[in-house]
Amino acid sequence: MRNLALALICAVLAGCTREALFVVLPNAEGGGTGAITVDDGKTVTTLDQPYAAAEARSGSAVPVEESRGNISVIFRRALAAQPALPHHFRLYFIIGTDRMTPESAAAYRSMFDDIKQRPVYQIEVIGHTDTLGDVRFNQTLSLERAAAVHELLVRDGADRAAITIAGRGKLDPVVPTADQVAEPRNRCVIVTVR
Amino acid sequence: MRTVLWAAAALLIATATPHAAEMLPIAQVKNSTGQVVILRSGGRLPAKAGDVLFVSDVIETGPDGAIGITFVDNTVFSTGPNSQLALDAFEFDSNNFRGSMLADMRQGTLAVVSGDIPRSSPGALKIKTPTAVLGVRGTTFAVLVYGER
Repeated sequence: MRNLALALICAVLAGCTREALFVVLPNAEGGGTGAITVDDGKTVTTLDQPYAAAEARSGSAVPVEESRGNISVIFRRALAAQPALPHHFRLYFIIGTDRMTPESAAAYRSMFDDIKQRPVYQIEVIGHTDTLGDVRFNQTLSLERAAAVHELLVRDGADRAAITIAGRGKLDPVVPTADQVAEPRNRCVIVTVR
Repeated sequence: MRTVLWAAAALLIATATPHAAEMLPIAQVKNSTGQVVILRSGGRLPAKAGDVLFVSDVIETGPDGAIGITFVDNTVFSTGPNSQLALDAFEFDSNNFRGSMLADMRQGTLAVVSGDIPRSSPGALKIKTPTAVLGVRGTTFAVLVYGER
């Protein structure tokens, strides 16, 4: 609110008309910082460090220093409205079956805990296989694995309407291998919760 | 007669298909506080958690409004008060994670955590503001556009 007032006062004073501000923020859940580019039609400014900023003034964008304090005040409400970020979970299966490995039970539970913490959610369940066997067998198996997870989720109380499933067979393995290779890491279902 | 029917059917399919593709949901509202409306086809719909959003929707927040949305490519947007944001274009293929997206930030504050589109196609997520266009190569960032309200 105070910033809006400042902006208004600023706008009234000649030569002090900031039109826009662009800021790179630290990655919310780790991972490398990427970059944004700001193109005003004449020059392109690249920002690739946390808290690097540019402002638009009289139609031109230029790099600018903006304090972390100001940034957190300006974007406080927008950042407070940031939803839980999407998460991916991998569940592994016993060779040739749609039964989860005993070790995946824990991953399933942490996935379900994540789902329960979201007021509204969408769940994508994608089944995969290793490259043992033919294409048709693996297409069916990957879909059966996804369907098994779907069934568990619904049994545990997840909203059926929020879940979509698909099977990718052996054509889109998580870990690329030659054909007819038994690879436990490819016998999996990847669940995206968002 | 049969030929005419087939021609009519083909015409129906030809005109129906692009429309159907256009009407696929591109995002879901995750939270909404204060006054937040979605401008769609000339109407003003109050936004609430669980609503889905489509290409061409415009999000408008009032002086006390804020909203968080998540796109189907896992890009996350959140907008503070006195903001106007148009979802101009969105294409995403969940088989190869490629696509493109254009949002028009006309006014207010927007925080973004980028998802699959800029990861698989660097620069394919763009945010237009009145003076500059923002290209995204995969990161977390925020935009403020001063308005006149």
